Amino acid sequence: MTGLAWVAEAVLLGCLLSWRWIGLSAIKPAWARVLLRAGAGAAGGMGLVSCLFFLLGVLAGSPAAAMVVELALLAWAALDLFRRRGSAPRMGVAAGRTPVLLAVSAVLVVAIATGAIAAGWQFNPLGNWDAWAIWNLRARFLASGAGLASRAWSPALGQMTHPDYPMLVSALVGRCWAFSHSVSPIAPQAVGYAFFLALLALVGGGVAALRGPVLGLLAALVLAASPALVHEVPAQYADVPLACYFAGAAVFAMLDEPIAGGILAGFAAWTKDEGALFLVVFGAAILIFRRQAFSRAAAGAMPGIALLVVFKLGLAHANSSSLLASSLPGAAQRVTEGSRYGAILASFGRELAGLGVGWYHPVLPLAAAALALRFDRSRAREAAFAGVVALGLLAGYFGVYSVTSNDLAWQLQTSLGRLLVQVWPLLLLAAFACLRVPQLAAATPVPRKRKAAVKERRTRA
Amino acid sequence: MSRNSEPMQSRAAVLAGVAATAALCLWGALETYGFERAYQQQNRDPYMVEAQFARLAGIAATVPENAVMGYLTDAQDGSAGASAMLAGAQYVLAPRLLARGTGHEWVLGNFARPADFAAVGRSHGLELQQDFGNGAVLYRHEAPR
Repeated sequence: MTGLAWVAEAVLLGCLLSWRWIGLSAIKPAWARVLLRAGAGAAGGMGLVSCLFFLLGVLAGSPAAAMVVELALLAWAALDLFRRRGSAPRMGVAAGRTPVLLAVSAVLVVAIATGAIAAGWQFNPLGNWDAWAIWNLRARFLASGAGLASRAWSPALGQMTHPDYPMLVSALVGRCWAFSHSVSPIAPQAVGYAFFLALLALVGGGVAALRGPVLGLLAALVLAASPALVHEVPAQYADVPLACYFAGAAVFAMLDEPIAGGILAGFAAWTKDEGALFLVVFGAAILIFRRQAFSRAAAGAMPGIALLVVFKLGLAHANSSSLLASSLPGAAQRVTEGSRYGAILASFGRELAGLGVGWYHPVLPLAAAALALRFDRSRAREAAFAGVVALGLLAGYFGVYSVTSNDLAWQLQTSLGRLLVQVWPLLLLAAFACLRVPQLAAATPVPRKRKAAVKERRTRA
Repeated sequence: MSRNSEPMQSRAAVLAGVAATAALCLWGALETYGFERAYQQQNRDPYMVEAQFARLAGIAATVPENAVMGYLTDAQDGSAGASAMLAGAQYVLAPRLLARGTGHEWVLGNFARPADFAAVGRSHGLELQQDFGNGAVLYRHEAPR
């Protein structure tokens, strides 16, 4: 079985579990429900098998046990779903009609984006620097077994390899390589692409469920046509998986599925250090906007948090390269340097402009949609939830840049673009959550003169 | 009923806006495709990591997987080139672990320029095990530590 097949198996397992456990039966249109379950299933399934492999394959030293547990779960979930087929209630609010042309456009844009991603696979099959220097290097150690897996977080690797970074992506890729007995680059390529599709499904499906099919398709279109996001997919970094977990957690919180949102938020923390910041911001946003859901979201996030704590404090504590921790000495002096803030703000501006390519910027279609549809103030609270999470993350990133002990220009140049890619889907979610639903806009109040004419015609008839 | 404060748009304006949004996205996707294709083609394996599999194949075949190898290079310490050479070699030779310095039984010589590699090794108390060409050299301590 190839690495690609094991990525597919993780996605399938997640989809079966999400079909079984996430209660989205009231959501319409049906394709939004399918997208949400598939997106959550793909992201959740890949997170789940990563955790299983790390616990059983790496810490317990038995990749075979991880494989057996996975396959047993898969068989159980498939059997359970088969037994329950047709029993799910079909109810819910009526959704607007799905415009076929818009759906075709979305498929076309995703296909073109896939072509762009494939160019990366063709010319740089090993991905960019961080892929082979950090994420996939550690995956090779994790896949090697024979007591060598702990080298993935060995201090001997040096600061350049960040051996204390969370392990979701490395363990996921390492699992595919260990199970397939091959270190083919197809596995990390497929992982990145699966997270990209899951991200599109979660944002498109989520907006469709919240605001109707037209806005859902438009959101997916704008996201799939975001050059900076597409550029990051073949890089094989952890930023696209992280963006997927950020957006997924926010979508499920907005759909009043806090446990699913919490699970995805926990996986975010197990993906990258920024995920820990996300947990704090996400938790605060839930406390502000959806207080009654906090305990369920926290319960969902617990497995990811527990694994992160075990790894950071129990395994990798000796080689912490945390940017924040290493920046604390001398931070008081750096925060008083006004020129740093100017440099950070200028870089934010440059990188925001750099989300586009040539004359195109993904803000353009968003602006077109906003101009045509206008905003629905009654939805401000939903938009505020996603917006607060996105702005909280950006504020946190700004704060870290203001105290970092690394060369500021280098730090900004090598990371800020990717951080914006992580947050971009959340910003889109906030924007589309408060756009007016086109059916509403189309039901324009008839002008008085026309109204009178219609009334007259009816009277004559 | 929603509390919309903005005036409602006509159906034609809405349709035009939705169509414009979709058209802009299609344009963006095509621009992205053109840019990515050119960019990836022009930046093909900029650190030549793929080439390291062939260059270091002999060393990978000789040194056991569980070895911790020393690392010797002529690249300027702290330079981007030195980092790329070390990280690329580490990726290709994993799960062998590369540790800077020569305090291990096996030592990888990873050189960017031609030199008398045997003499370089002797100056560090190392015996040249094999020169695999292209600056890839395997050293071994005469008396394994």
